Amino acid sequence: MSYAELAVTTNFSFLRGASHPQEFVTQAQALGYAAIGIADRNSLAGVVRAYGEWKGMEGARPQLLVGARLVFRDGTPDILAYPKNRKAYGRLSRLLSIGKLRAQKGECLLDFADLLDYRRGLQLIVMPPLNPESIKPVLARLGSNTWLAASMLYSGEDRRCLRDLAKLARTARVPLIAVNDALYHHVERRQLQDVVTCIREHVTLKDAGKRLEANAERHLKPAKEMQRLFRDCPEAVAETLCFARGISFTLAELGQRYPREPVPRGKTADQHLRDLTQAGLKGRYPQGVPQKIADIAEKELRFIAEGHIAHYFLTVHDIVRFARAQNILCQGRGSAANSVVCYAIGVTAVDPTEVEVLFERFLNTNRREPPDIDVDFEHERREEVIQYIYRRYGHRRAALTATVIHYRPRSAIREVGKVFGLTEDVTGKLAGTVWGHHGDELEEHQVRQGDCDPGNAAVDRAVSFANELMGFPRHLSQHVGGFVLARYKLDWTVPIGPAAMDDRFFIEWDKDDLDTLAIMKVDILALGMLTCIRKAFDLIHRHAKSGKEKKLALATVPQSDPATYDMLCRADAIGVFQVESRAQMSMLPRLQPRTRYDLTIEVAIVRPGPIQGGMVNPYLKRRTILRKDKNAQFPFPAPSPKYGRPDELHAILDKTLGIPLFQEQAMRLAIVAAKFTSEEANGLRRAMATFRHVGTIHTFEQKFVGRMVARGYDGAFAQNCFEQIKGFGSYGFPESHAASFALLVYVSAWIKKHYPAAFAGALLNSQPMGFYAPAEIVRCAREHDVIVLAPDAAFSDWDSTLERNAVGELCLRLGLRQIDGFAESHARIVMEERSYGYPSFADFARRTALPKRALITLAEADAFRGFGLDRREGLWAVRRLPDDSPLPLFAHEGNRGATPEMGAENIAPLPRMPDSQQVVADYQTLRLSLKGYPTQFLRPLFDAEQITSCAGLAALPDGARARVAGVVLVRQRPGEGTAIFITLSDETGIANLVLWESRFAALRKEVMGARLLLAEGKVQKSPEGVLHLMVENLIDRSADLSRLYADEAPLPAPTHMKVKGGHPSNVRVLPPSRDFH
Amino acid sequence: MISQKANNALQVHALEARAQTLGLYKGQPLANARAMVQPLAIVPADEKADAVLVEGIADWCDRFTPLASLDSPDGLLLDITGAAHLFGGETAMLATVTQSIARQGFAVQGAIAGTSLAAHALARYVPGTITPRGKDAEAVTPLPITALECGDKSLRALRHAGLKTIGQVGTRLHSELSERLGADFVTRLKVMLGAEEKPLQPRRALPDLMAEQRFAEPIVTEETIVASLLQLAQHLGEILERQGRGARMLEAAFFRVDGKVARITVRTGEPLRDPKVILRLLRQRLDALADPLDPGFGFDLIRLEALLAEETRPATISFDSNENARRQIGFLVDRLAARFGDARVQRFVPQDTHIPEAASVAVPAQDSDFAQQNWSLKRRPGDPPRRPLRLLGKPEEISAVLASVPDGPPSRFRWRRAQFDVARAEGPERIAMEWWRRSVGESQSDQNKAGLTRDYFRVETRDGQRFWLYRDGLYQQNGLAPRWYLQGLFA
Repeated sequence: MSYAELAVTTNFSFLRGASHPQEFVTQAQALGYAAIGIADRNSLAGVVRAYGEWKGMEGARPQLLVGARLVFRDGTPDILAYPKNRKAYGRLSRLLSIGKLRAQKGECLLDFADLLDYRRGLQLIVMPPLNPESIKPVLARLGSNTWLAASMLYSGEDRRCLRDLAKLARTARVPLIAVNDALYHHVERRQLQDVVTCIREHVTLKDAGKRLEANAERHLKPAKEMQRLFRDCPEAVAETLCFARGISFTLAELGQRYPREPVPRGKTADQHLRDLTQAGLKGRYPQGVPQKIADIAEKELRFIAEGHIAHYFLTVHDIVRFARAQNILCQGRGSAANSVVCYAIGVTAVDPTEVEVLFERFLNTNRREPPDIDVDFEHERREEVIQYIYRRYGHRRAALTATVIHYRPRSAIREVGKVFGLTEDVTGKLAGTVWGHHGDELEEHQVRQGDCDPGNAAVDRAVSFANELMGFPRHLSQHVGGFVLARYKLDWTVPIGPAAMDDRFFIEWDKDDLDTLAIMKVDILALGMLTCIRKAFDLIHRHAKSGKEKKLALATVPQSDPATYDMLCRADAIGVFQVESRAQMSMLPRLQPRTRYDLTIEVAIVRPGPIQGGMVNPYLKRRTILRKDKNAQFPFPAPSPKYGRPDELHAILDKTLGIPLFQEQAMRLAIVAAKFTSEEANGLRRAMATFRHVGTIHTFEQKFVGRMVARGYDGAFAQNCFEQIKGFGSYGFPESHAASFALLVYVSAWIKKHYPAAFAGALLNSQPMGFYAPAEIVRCAREHDVIVLAPDAAFSDWDSTLERNAVGELCLRLGLRQIDGFAESHARIVMEERSYGYPSFADFARRTALPKRALITLAEADAFRGFGLDRREGLWAVRRLPDDSPLPLFAHEGNRGATPEMGAENIAPLPRMPDSQQVVADYQTLRLSLKGYPTQFLRPLFDAEQITSCAGLAALPDGARARVAGVVLVRQRPGEGTAIFITLSDETGIANLVLWESRFAALRKEVMGARLLLAEGKVQKSPEGVLHLMVENLIDRSADLSRLYADEAPLPAPTHMKVKGGHPSNVRVLPPSRDFH
Repeated sequence: MISQKANNALQVHALEARAQTLGLYKGQPLANARAMVQPLAIVPADEKADAVLVEGIADWCDRFTPLASLDSPDGLLLDITGAAHLFGGETAMLATVTQSIARQGFAVQGAIAGTSLAAHALARYVPGTITPRGKDAEAVTPLPITALECGDKSLRALRHAGLKTIGQVGTRLHSELSERLGADFVTRLKVMLGAEEKPLQPRRALPDLMAEQRFAEPIVTEETIVASLLQLAQHLGEILERQGRGARMLEAAFFRVDGKVARITVRTGEPLRDPKVILRLLRQRLDALADPLDPGFGFDLIRLEALLAEETRPATISFDSNENARRQIGFLVDRLAARFGDARVQRFVPQDTHIPEAASVAVPAQDSDFAQQNWSLKRRPGDPPRRPLRLLGKPEEISAVLASVPDGPPSRFRWRRAQFDVARAEGPERIAMEWWRRSVGESQSDQNKAGLTRDYFRVETRDGQRFWLYRDGLYQQNGLAPRWYLQGLFA
């Protein structure tokens, strides 16, 4: 005799259940259940997780029932609803969507009447309320296919209640069914369940009282125990099996009906795609399509036809075509994007002849996997594309994917700490020790760093529960741009709810869930660099010498330009897409990229995967050898001859000199070298994708490493490969994405090389983006001999522009957007009125009629030099203007001209502003200065202390001791790294510091707090010329910044407060550093 | 270091000198301060307490001049016009004032000037300054413009113009300044420079909640004492009514001609201002005194004071009988407490917990707010009570228990040497103890601190007695046979 538990609340009933859906399924199997039903509160969000787990299970497994616990707002008791078949499932999904659309974000408001509308095909279990008499009418209205639940949860009156319920069931002619109303899969989770209840109710454990369950009985119990508990009514237990037998629906039936829209009448989708591809190829290869390409295209088309996925390609094509028509730059990436078909239909500009066609690999390996295309659009214009999709498909058929927000160390410790009554400053400290948002566990050393004694009982307990809570789903949020499209109504497949933004909707499932169910989606992503590139193209076009040149496009930028690669090899890459980070910049001279494929590797190599797998240095070594000897041969890892051909890995690792670097290679290794079945490989891929929140990847470790070693591979190599896979899990970066990104790396570098002024302007006009602040972008442009002019009310537009100076040189004129706090709408007025010219400041103020606040902002930014007023004079003049007209009604009449003209003033000159203060003021208003660099005014001081300048470091020999001081530009601590990177800058350039984790603890205060930093350490120079200062000591010199605005004679300060107005570093002399994790 | 919540984040509000030398500063986000220095002793700011403290010092300063005014948040202004000579001249007076405040443990600095603004600035920037008559302008000229305390906007304007000292500002044309910074600024500047003066604002105290009556002829008889108490109660009642408050604690003080003072206090359960009720409570307390009030040669002063007063909710007397009953009980409690002592009249207050013995606690009845108590227990309509009305002080162990495994009720047991045979039983009601009270390190099985999971049963014996008893611990836990306890008797 067996049992099926049907009332299961997982942790997708947020802060109610205390176990993952997967855990329930596994436990049900362990207990030998006939079936397990997942029924979360008004939600289907967790069922796919359960299904994914179930699909991968070996041996006898329980039937998995998919349902929901309907919770009503009208006082009806909870009802568990399980669809019998696909149609009924659609109704349930629709019902939940109705409830969600009615409610605010995240909630679901249902009435009993709604259930009656969608009741057909649903098997219902009514959960009895305190007074079971009251549900007689409910049972009567539900009719057949209804069960009445009874539970034995040790409430004291269980047996009497059971007897009453049995009587009630008999009179109502519904069967009684046993449930245990489980909240967690195992009794040990009871404590965590109490903790999440407290989080939900915003109380501490001490105050929670009866909000907690009285005992620990709400777990899955063995069938035998259920029979014993229900000994007065054994038929209730037997009924669970009847219930499960009535249900045939599984999630495998869902499938996806893709929209047909883009296909013209009278054509099949396959035919249409074929036509588009052929036309596209003709356009791409005007001299004739190479045979090889035509063959691949044919193969791909056949594959697409077999997989019935032509519609998918057509919808993507349709979206891209729309973007093109609107002059929005876009670029596709992903497993299916690097195909000849996508190149032909314009989804990507990566020429398949240049990069190995990756789609082919996709064809060969992943017949089950849905094709995946992500399209990046200009970040400022992605919204137009999204609006187009909604216009085209409507809200019922297009919705965003969900993102399941999980508990991360910070959020977990904060909330659990509250539950245990820890004060905010303690939890704050604990949370503060986690750098960034990721990480899988709060470790003891972090606890210690937070100055909390890990031996402290309360802290210890909170940390251990926080670790347990980590990875629990917290709430659903909308994905940034993953669209799911449907031919018919989407809510027939998955419940849809409203998102935070008006008229946005998202489904309950996230990306991994869609993968599990093989549902296709298109990612409509935003990429700042595309905006930048488009703006650069526009600037170049506008200022072209002849004016007749064709506007550049991604695909028409001249390829393989040696000067561009030379620049990259010098690590001259500030602003260049993807390769501008510290780690990338130090990799460039070592890798010496000369081709697009090199750039693909460059993009992918500085990632956790290759780094953790220890693949970076071997690969670089081989490249160095290859540079010296073009015909060098390298040993490839091979199995022992007994088990396979020694060259079995050649095809996989050929392009990367025998060293695996990409995620795709790792997967191929699993199949070829570790002989994974396709089922196992799929499991590995899933584990990798969900590594961070489920952590099942370790189950594959033994299999992967063991089999490779058994087949004669080197054990260390096998282990490294697996470490690499783990690294991919925490931050996957497949080759197909890297190849698409490499194109953008090349294009942005090319623009930087040949049009540095346009490049800097475009970067500034696309802020915020990238690693570097405007000051660095401008500095870099000036180093590339660009003449940069300050923002000026008399000349500047909102955006930075190019203009010719008196001698006819093309200069970069900074835009008014660089001025902190100056509104774009005001800049538009300035630009409009300028067409008539501005003879004087008074005229400017009168005609633009800007609010006084805006004029002050301009004056503070020293933007009135064009009118002959310096910063102080400008401000003094602005302040004299009358305050803004209080009656907007009359504002249009005479503007400020209507106020009586103020008489000319004859006043004494204001004190002159020292240069250092000018620079400081520039930084405060523009975050950059063209007049100088803050450290130059401190140079005499530094010289006296024998502090080297950043540029001076280069002259020192390797291993020399040095002291260097500068402004902190970037602080970076790569997630897995053992080092902290800090970039300092002074008036001569930048210096790259490396601080080992071991020193960080002692220097924490300096690293976190200083704006101006003095570093002491040893110079380290690599043969490629990469220069680092290995830090031994750091000193916070922020206080020296106050010298910049200090006066010759100090004024008395209030004596009871030593520093009134705060610490110098608080006075914003400099913008804060940019920090990356 | 003291922290304060500002803009929804904790900030450094004030800090001691040592913390300043570490580079921490006022207004710094607390998180940053923590990142920089660990460990930090942090106390939340209490601006009310600060204000009370400064008020207290101001009160104390009344001895120097009647015109002491607050210069919030941390200053005092004393108008010493015509007072200095009483303390030996200005120099001596300044020394006396600062030293005597410093002796009380405060950091203090001061200055004397012709106008309040100048004195305010000099006390902070050049403490100890005493400006000669008419020389205020010279004294403040070298001060930075921050000393003007003219608001951030004007300060910014001046700073941006490069005008850094009061002296530099003073040399500009007044028209130039007033066009840009407003006429108020120019006025302020003039006051600072001693060209104009602004009067001080004397402080005002809240009226005391007190009524007193002096008698030309000392009173002795009980009737006159009661009559005057009633008058005082009426007077106090009016004061309370004007302030919308009611007394929670009253003190009557009887001043005897020979200097002795007798005091009696009464507490009430609800804010009170009805003179008759006040009088009744006082009389009851007087009657209950072990040592009756001895008027000796008579009282020449009787004072009635509300030591503790609360806002009263304007009560609309409804016709709801419950409300009236509640009030009646309240009055009864007050009367009983006045007679037997506050601690002797107690009331049960429900506690939100599953643990039976902790489910209620007894507290002095006057302390608890009757209205907020909620005894609701989940129960099906028509069910018998789940638990006895009162429990034994301590559960008593029962022995020789016969019960079926794993969760059956006992069929027979011994309690207080008597044998009981169970005729009917219901249960178990399983109650797990509060695991978080268990000290850390104890494992799941080692549950002694927090207690074991209990299975409760309601049983009825053959003789018709009904008990509430429990098995302490489950059978499968730690191998030992669990013990049984009796915790209460049903009526």
